[in-house]
Amino acid sequence: MSSTAGENIPVGTGHITCDLHSSTVVFSKLSSSYPLKLLSPRVAEHGVAIVYVMSYGGGLVGGDCMQLIVEVGKECKLLLLSQGSTKVFKTRAGNRASTRFKKFSPQATPTSLQAVTTQSMEVTIAPDSALFLLPDPVTCFRSASYTQVQTFHLAGSASIALLDWVTSGRRSMGEDWDFLRYYSINEVFVEGRRIARDVLLLDNPSLDTQTASESCSSNPASRSPLRTLKDRLAPYSCYAMLLLYGPKTHGVVTDLQAKYRTISIFKRTAPERFLWSLTPVDDGKGTVIRAAGVDTEDVKNWFRESLKGLEAVVGIDEYRKVFL
Amino acid sequence: MDTDFDETYVLLLLADSNLPTGSFVASSGFESYGTHGFLSLSSASSAGKGRAATAGTVAFIQDSLHTYSRSALPFVSDAHCVVVDSFKDLKGKPEIGHDATIKKLLELDELYETMTLNHVAKRASKAQGVALLTLYAKGFACPSGLSDEDHLSKSLNVLIDRLKLMVRGEETHGHLPVCWGVLTGALGISLLRAQHLFLFLHARSLLSSAVRLNTIGPYSSQQLLFHSVKPLVEAEVSQNKDMRTGIFGDMHHNDADDRPATTWPLGEILAVRHDLQHSRIFNS
Repeated sequence: MSSTAGENIPVGTGHITCDLHSSTVVFSKLSSSYPLKLLSPRVAEHGVAIVYVMSYGGGLVGGDCMQLIVEVGKECKLLLLSQGSTKVFKTRAGNRASTRFKKFSPQATPTSLQAVTTQSMEVTIAPDSALFLLPDPVTCFRSASYTQVQTFHLAGSASIALLDWVTSGRRSMGEDWDFLRYYSINEVFVEGRRIARDVLLLDNPSLDTQTASESCSSNPASRSPLRTLKDRLAPYSCYAMLLLYGPKTHGVVTDLQAKYRTISIFKRTAPERFLWSLTPVDDGKGTVIRAAGVDTEDVKNWFRESLKGLEAVVGIDEYRKVFL
Repeated sequence: MDTDFDETYVLLLLADSNLPTGSFVASSGFESYGTHGFLSLSSASSAGKGRAATAGTVAFIQDSLHTYSRSALPFVSDAHCVVVDSFKDLKGKPEIGHDATIKKLLELDELYETMTLNHVAKRASKAQGVALLTLYAKGFACPSGLSDEDHLSKSLNVLIDRLKLMVRGEETHGHLPVCWGVLTGALGISLLRAQHLFLFLHARSLLSSAVRLNTIGPYSSQQLLFHSVKPLVEAEVSQNKDMRTGIFGDMHHNDADDRPATTWPLGEILAVRHDLQHSRIFNS
């Protein structure tokens, strides 16, 4: 287990603390323990830093529990990226010493306990600083179960661009929203006041046989076939949520609002291959974009194009590293 | 037997489609769903146009109920409990008893605001919420001067009036699920009945929208309401009746399984995009 200056770091945790020294971002903390891995490349742009958040093996297994603490110091601009989609595998219960179990329904018995993969992130963003959390999407494999909790505490003049997206699985393996559960919470506080709490729960109770048999018995008169997660999300294989808040995001928000205003929908016979929506939050001080696409690649390309305004904030070379 | 009859009587009033709540201008995203071409998605291409439209309508109702139950019902439940719990305080000095109750209701209201990242849905929710409070004040509160107006009723009138004034004064939002919990709690409806009626009215409103949009006919609507919607509503009530917001306990037990959540991101996108439709008859 690696440690920094004698610190005792529990399994799967990481700590990032950065501050501005003249015009360079310096990390007073950049530590992580297996299976979490942090990497910070050299950056040319003043006041900007990049950290890649990765896991050994390129994926997370059922029962993994990762915790990351991030402190963005005054006037710093931090990009948090990943290297490739976060893959969540299912595993047989009991494979790792730190496996965490979870019951899924009040009526669950031990047979329906599943090893849950959990990632949590607690972030503090200082005045006049900005966090750009722009990872690749999460891909849950068949029968995987994933929980993600991300909490952001912003100072009044801080900024954030938070992207949280998920795909339907490995198309090559025929996976089409076949995971057991995906539960993602993003909560944003500004000066201690909650301004947004996005909670997305995508689950397939029919895959959890215990709950399935119970719901069948409680629903004998149902004449309509129960809709699955796949039915509910069709025809898209990628869903994204982007939250923008603070002065350093005003440029891209203006771009997006202008783009949105040009859309006018006439009656269609079939859905478009890509859809997006824009909604103001916190009396217009923040913006939430949701997007969905038949192909993840289309969603990625759309974001890359739409957030091009960030080049002026973090630098052209630095922005090029996002949405690869 | 008497209390059952009393409750049934109030339920009949609340289920009236002529109830002045302004819900008829809201399609809860159904109009947008149709315009964006999603109605034909859930049926085989060989199905006739009418059958496709019906199947699409049922699919929408299922998905909409699924997410609305999980996201809004916990707020109905918590608001209902707050009002019912306050009865013992209200029996004392109304001015003192109200402060704590109002504070809790405002917290619920604010949480719903921050969890519903959808300006179109919020717009509809606020319009209908304040309509319910006005309905209580003007339609259900005991007319002053009537001899059998008891202390508790007087107290509830004051509480709801105060809440309504705060909404009009923009001190709080007055979201529909919270106001529904307050209204039904004040009227003495049991929590389970209040939950069931909340989801039933949502489904019925969707079917009314479908009829107005000429997606299905009026007989079809009744048939769906009677045969298809009944088990759906029952299933969702059964699944979500114990869900709570968690705001009065430990909010940071974040991955608890009994908390509000969105389960239909596609529905969110289409609901927000309502205003992008070139022509539309509904407000949301």
